[in-house]
Amino acid sequence: MSQVSNPVKKPLPEPTHWSKPFWDACKKHELHIQKCKDCSKLIMYPKRYCPHCLSENLTWVKSEGKGVIYSYTIVCNNPPTAFLSEVPYVVAVVELDEGVRMATNIVQSDFEDIKCEAPVEVVFEDITDEITLPKFRVLK
Amino acid sequence: MSIKGKVAIVGIGEVPTGRFPERTALEAAVTCCREAILDSGLKKEEIDYIIPTGHLADSRFNTDLIFSRLVEELGMGSHLKGNLQVMSGGASSATMLKTAAGLITSGQARAVLCVHSEKLGTGKSSQEVIDLFATLGIPSEWETPYGMHFSAVAALFTQRYMYETGTTPEQVAAVCVSNRKWAQLNPNAMFRKPLTIEEVLQSKILSTPLHAFESNVLADGAAAFIVTSAERAKEVTDTPVYLLGEGSRVTQYSISQALDMTRFGYEEAGKEAFRSAGLTPQDMDIAEIYDSYPVISLIALESLGFCERGTAGQFVLEGHTSPGGKLPMTTNGGMLSQGHTGAGGGVAILVETVRQLMGKAGERQVPNARFALETATGGTYMDIHVSIFGREPV
Repeated sequence: MSQVSNPVKKPLPEPTHWSKPFWDACKKHELHIQKCKDCSKLIMYPKRYCPHCLSENLTWVKSEGKGVIYSYTIVCNNPPTAFLSEVPYVVAVVELDEGVRMATNIVQSDFEDIKCEAPVEVVFEDITDEITLPKFRVLK
Repeated sequence: MSIKGKVAIVGIGEVPTGRFPERTALEAAVTCCREAILDSGLKKEEIDYIIPTGHLADSRFNTDLIFSRLVEELGMGSHLKGNLQVMSGGASSATMLKTAAGLITSGQARAVLCVHSEKLGTGKSSQEVIDLFATLGIPSEWETPYGMHFSAVAALFTQRYMYETGTTPEQVAAVCVSNRKWAQLNPNAMFRKPLTIEEVLQSKILSTPLHAFESNVLADGAAAFIVTSAERAKEVTDTPVYLLGEGSRVTQYSISQALDMTRFGYEEAGKEAFRSAGLTPQDMDIAEIYDSYPVISLIALESLGFCERGTAGQFVLEGHTSPGGKLPMTTNGGMLSQGHTGAGGGVAILVETVRQLMGKAGERQVPNARFALETATGGTYMDIHVSIFGREPV
């Protein structure tokens, strides 16, 4: 992780006015999911309008932060420049118990415990004053 | 209105795929456009539209394509009605063809020239290409911060597919070997040395379970094809290749939001294509499957009805898709062996489909091929296009 070996900064999310509540919740170490007040469907990733019914009447619900790994990969070689010093790292798609999926990293876990359908829970990594990334660890 | 038998491809052109630092993208483009025009039997004055697809390596050249550079290079300024870029990443072959078919069947064009030229092999360093592809179909706010990139995208669906179907690493690697056997017969292919399953599985891991030899390699390349009406096609060539059926689905933008990354949109797109052609998988003599990574070929074989779920890997391992097999697949060697030219990887496969049905595929010609299925897909497998072609307009 030294600045010398990897001078390229890792890219950070640039929140939009409609995604800002998601990132504000992450700062408080809470995972929030957008929800449509008209059709009641959950929305991931946050959208300007409900992608199901095009309503602009949207709200947020707090996720329990639990789910399973839908798929994963251990990145070993040829990552993007900003991640050259990070290998090996784990990219995954997690399916939350609420039913939506999100891309993330699996951290604080032994590689042999990382499997499709393995149960996971959210953990939060404070990156800057503005950005906290939700990541997941395998539940044993 | 059905598209069946209404339009035909009458001319094709292609330059070798690989690393050609001395060959500019412009030279490659005009070379294959000229070849396609000469191949077609049409007068160039009959071509009413040029459709160049997107070029990724150099935005200046892409701007040239958008702003009609080819019109001047090919001397078409006295009569051309439109020059429009159609860009859907790897699916551009299909969206160019659909656009051309629409222009022709609606009477707005007599013939349409579709072209791609790319320089990802020598126009950028390999790390620049990794970084460029890490922006294609990958949300900057939601996935880029986690180190998502193209190998990871492919690894995610490969992992899930192997988990759900029990397909083995050897069976996945067998796709690379099948494609290489075809590439050995293709003078335009980048990789023509024999390849074994062991060599694939011994190559370094990029992102588990994906090996380096299971990844396409970005290359320089160009290809062109000309579409005209079925009526005109019969007059100008003895080897028209008719579009018989089309089906497609666009299911997502990002890989994490794919409804089912072990199927994507193939089943629906395939059913639509077979229904519009009035044909079945059993009628197909060739399956020209878009193969940027090996598991995508297995997903296609299963979801399109050529194999039962979970059996495509063994089907390929047994040699049925290799030269001499019962279902020749991706007969130019595909992106895994001919080389991946961005939006052009699919164009090369479409041109190969036409070449086979024209009977001009040389050493790798599939004997008596009447019907062929061709697929294209872009970005994070966000869109799946299936086309069916035949030597007769039936």
